[in-house]
Amino acid sequence: MSELEKLRAELKQLNSEYTKIKTLPPEERGEFGRTMNQKKQTLLAKIAQAESEAESADVESLDISAPAAPNQPIPVVKRGTKHPLMIELDRVTQVYSDMGFDVMESRQLDDEYHMFDSLNFPAGHPARDGYDTFRTAEGFIPPAHTSTMQHRALKKYKSKLKNGGQIAVVIPGRVFRNEDVDATHEHTFYQCEGVFVSKDATMGQMFGVLKHFFEAYYGQQLKIKTQPGYFPFTEPSAELLIEKPASLGGKGGDWLEMLGCGMIHPNVLKMAGIDSAKYHGFAWGGGIDRLAMLKYGLNDVRYFESGKLDFLEEF
Amino acid sequence: MRISLNAIKSYVQIPESVSNQELIELIGSRLVEIEEVINLEPQYRGCYVVKVVACEPIPDTHLSLCQIDAGAHNAEFNQLENGLIQVVCGAPNVHAGMLAVWITPGAIVPSTHGNENFKLSVRKLRGYESNGMLSGADELGFDTEHKSIAEIDPKMAQPGDALADVFDLNDVILDVENKSLTHRPDCFGLVGFAREIAGILGIDFQEPPVFANLQTIKVASSEQVELDVEITDAELCPRYSCAVFDIPKNAPSKYLTPTAVFLAKAGMRAIDPMVDLTNVLMLKTGQPLHAFDYDKLVGVGNSKTPKIIVRAAEEGEQLQLLDGKTIACTPDDILITSNNVPVALAGAMGGKNTEIDPSTARVVLESATFSLYRLRKTQMAHGIFSEAITRFTKGQPAAATLPVLAEAVHQLEVEPLAVADEYPGKTPENVIKITTEQINQLLGTSYDEKTICQSLTNVGFVVKPGAALQVTVPAWRTDIHLPEDIIEEVGRLLGYDNIPLTLPTKPFLEPEVDAMVQFKHELREILSGRLCMNELLTYSFVHRDLLTKAGKDPEDCYQIVNSISPDLQCFRSEIVPSLLDKVRENLKAGHKGFTLYEMNQVARKSSGLTEEGTPITKTHLGIVSTSDFYALKAQVLAMFNELKIPVEYTALSKETATHHPYLEPKRSAELFLGGQNIGAFGEVRTHVLRQFKLDPVISALELSLEKLATAPRTLQAQVQLSRFPSVERDLTLKVASDAPFGRVAKLLDESLSQQGLYFTVTPVSIYQAKSSQDTKNLSFHIKFSSPAQTLNAAEISAIMDKITQDVTSIGATIV
Repeated sequence: MSELEKLRAELKQLNSEYTKIKTLPPEERGEFGRTMNQKKQTLLAKIAQAESEAESADVESLDISAPAAPNQPIPVVKRGTKHPLMIELDRVTQVYSDMGFDVMESRQLDDEYHMFDSLNFPAGHPARDGYDTFRTAEGFIPPAHTSTMQHRALKKYKSKLKNGGQIAVVIPGRVFRNEDVDATHEHTFYQCEGVFVSKDATMGQMFGVLKHFFEAYYGQQLKIKTQPGYFPFTEPSAELLIEKPASLGGKGGDWLEMLGCGMIHPNVLKMAGIDSAKYHGFAWGGGIDRLAMLKYGLNDVRYFESGKLDFLEEF
Repeated sequence: MRISLNAIKSYVQIPESVSNQELIELIGSRLVEIEEVINLEPQYRGCYVVKVVACEPIPDTHLSLCQIDAGAHNAEFNQLENGLIQVVCGAPNVHAGMLAVWITPGAIVPSTHGNENFKLSVRKLRGYESNGMLSGADELGFDTEHKSIAEIDPKMAQPGDALADVFDLNDVILDVENKSLTHRPDCFGLVGFAREIAGILGIDFQEPPVFANLQTIKVASSEQVELDVEITDAELCPRYSCAVFDIPKNAPSKYLTPTAVFLAKAGMRAIDPMVDLTNVLMLKTGQPLHAFDYDKLVGVGNSKTPKIIVRAAEEGEQLQLLDGKTIACTPDDILITSNNVPVALAGAMGGKNTEIDPSTARVVLESATFSLYRLRKTQMAHGIFSEAITRFTKGQPAAATLPVLAEAVHQLEVEPLAVADEYPGKTPENVIKITTEQINQLLGTSYDEKTICQSLTNVGFVVKPGAALQVTVPAWRTDIHLPEDIIEEVGRLLGYDNIPLTLPTKPFLEPEVDAMVQFKHELREILSGRLCMNELLTYSFVHRDLLTKAGKDPEDCYQIVNSISPDLQCFRSEIVPSLLDKVRENLKAGHKGFTLYEMNQVARKSSGLTEEGTPITKTHLGIVSTSDFYALKAQVLAMFNELKIPVEYTALSKETATHHPYLEPKRSAELFLGGQNIGAFGEVRTHVLRQFKLDPVISALELSLEKLATAPRTLQAQVQLSRFPSVERDLTLKVASDAPFGRVAKLLDESLSQQGLYFTVTPVSIYQAKSSQDTKNLSFHIKFSSPAQTLNAAEISAIMDKITQDVTSIGATIV
């Protein structure tokens, strides 16, 4: 006789004993009833427990390390992937947008005027060579930096300067340099440009904004430092470095060159119809590929445009 | 550019409290980007000046057996009984009594340091023990050719002296990024570089004589020659100075000279004393010099005395350069001519016809400055990238030509026979007015007037204090024009890193995010998320062949003309061809059943230009899937369903098919938004697949996102939930084989809708019997309910009868 059967028999026995209640004097019936009821509840609980145990004993255990039960098809979870550069570009744009920056997109075919002239590159100046620009037979330029959008951004948003307002915009986009491709050089890559103009913009604000951006992007406090740079469209100009964040394995003392920045050259403001005596601004531009490579620990920039699913499925 | 820290220290007294490491960090943070720091000390460890005491030829070889004296160092190595060291040497010039350079066993040959790191040892040569080696200038990294072993001037050193001590090799070389100094011609000379460092350290800079006095040259009265210089256009050449003198008749030194080492540190090589001197001066001052053979110059011009004319070249004008190449000039080139016959390509290279050679007795030494814009074109047109043109293209100041020429004459210890100094491009003194408020306002600082003035005067500016500072710009700062340039000087010299950080204040307003940026983000979530596609990126530039393989016309693409790779010829007009190109590789890698997509910009010449005159570009979505039409269609419709953008589609029209020539018109559809075509999708044509070496069925979509990004959404939900039970029925209709499915489905919808019911119609199957090609069976699962009541058997029957009746109108019968 199993434990469960024994308990059930006991219950039966108890129930039959209960019928005795009719034979008892009325003053004892209450006490008898309570005692019997208590015994019954205890017994019922034991039965429920035994029943549940008996049921579990019938359940077959499985191999949790297997992908499927024997003779069953292996389930496939199909998943799509986003391109790592687009993930970073979206993230960068999101952080700036959360900080209050408007977002506009960069063009992929532009002209000499926007790429150079409107950015205060004198005609024929050697600084134009530094950009290794592609050119088309029709005289256009696939831009070599997102700064190609600065003039448009200034013109588009200058009405915001009225009544003490600001221009605050970031411009993500694809840019091109005519150079040989190797593990660290790509002719096609992504940048994000930033432009800020107000009556009282300062270089201190520029470094403040950029530090805040990198802290938000990496989710930790960071140190920054600068080194001099030269861009015809900013004066003063600088390169911004950040101390390698802990999330990238930084141990302090390692510096990463992140972007070029500077106070917008008065000629650039003037060309966009902004009074450079009244307004000042700062601008910056940095690469997205580098952010993605650092974040995901990639050592070959050529993976990005390889179109290989073996690579893309990692993201 | 390579900068020696010791050379810098010869101009600036660096305080002892500033270590080399700190100095390098300061230079990196305030002046120029440093690419590499090269410490020479380990490179020359184990190199000593030694005396060759005995030197005997080893019979039947070209080798000599030498006994050398390394002074106090002898005891550290295997000594002979007489205390000297034995070395086998193969150089022809080794001889007893000379001072040579010995690289000890255990030391690394300096020229291999950092590369193959060739370590010397004690070894046997022809049976003789040889300890280390006697070194040539090439092995020390001072020359490129192996000629002989280096001989040291006994006036300079004693046996046992460390080579590094004798030749100033306990030095650190900074390899700096030229691009970050493009605007600083003065820093392309060691003096200018040192002046900046003094400024950064806040030390008053003592100008060396060449710049302190801006000296001129006196012509010796005894013998004089005539010298004419003519500049046709001041724009070409703001200043041309030159001097005629006889070359000193000193034989070239047989010793390793400090000059050779100085040049080597800068990455240059010693050639002959005259050229070496001009190169050293260039490295120090940034001003290149060029020497012409006087007699050849006069001969070429057929003029009794030199008649130098600086003018623009004529198209195709020929000149053989010093390197032997003959160039055909462009009108952008500037020529130095002797009586109009070209003798040099200005700023770039001298002509063969006036080259200095061992017989040269008299020279014309040129010190000039030219239009940097023209020289930049010259550099590009003729591919000349010398140290001189690198400096000229930064815009060397006209003020320096004569002083540097004077310094050269002084150092050569010659008597000039003639001096000319044409200076048509003289500019007035450059004075800029600026207030301390302006400076502090832009930097976000609170520097006082004294700090600002000091920082500027340290680097040669002359500042007159006052309500507005009057800043006189030194002649060598040709890059300073605006008040902002002065602000940069102050900010940089006092340190950007010392600027207090603040944040701008801004009103609480929702930022404006470009609709396309937002739309792509949303679409990415749908395609990569819910629809399980793989996003990829391919190049915007494609090979013409890729387009023709896909049936596209490359002529409608913007053509890249200067690409370094033949794969980048056309700016693409569609995304799909690039994606098709990625399918085969992924199939070969073992991937099955994938859908690739890319969102990017495309352009077609035929689309024309924007109002501002730039090409119209459009953002497209391209999809390529290893599936048939119907599977892709399901994904495309699901995508629009998620977006809540209502689109229509029809069979691909002939006109749209011409835009997507890779799509099989019989198995493709085109998409419309508000009646306008926005793209097409379908199966890729067999012959196109063959071109891409693909054999499975592949489907593709090319879609313009321009209108979609701002398209209105149908956000109203169609909620039809009846309180009353619904009825489910399966329905199979027999229709003609060519009857479109869509027409039947639409008819069922209309029939149920007309009867005022809530309903859904779900397609179940399409059956085409092999035996009967005339008809096919379409099965649907329909579910309907009345919004007002529970339907009874009679009512249900009436509804089904109505459907049966309605479908007969298109010749369908219920099976």
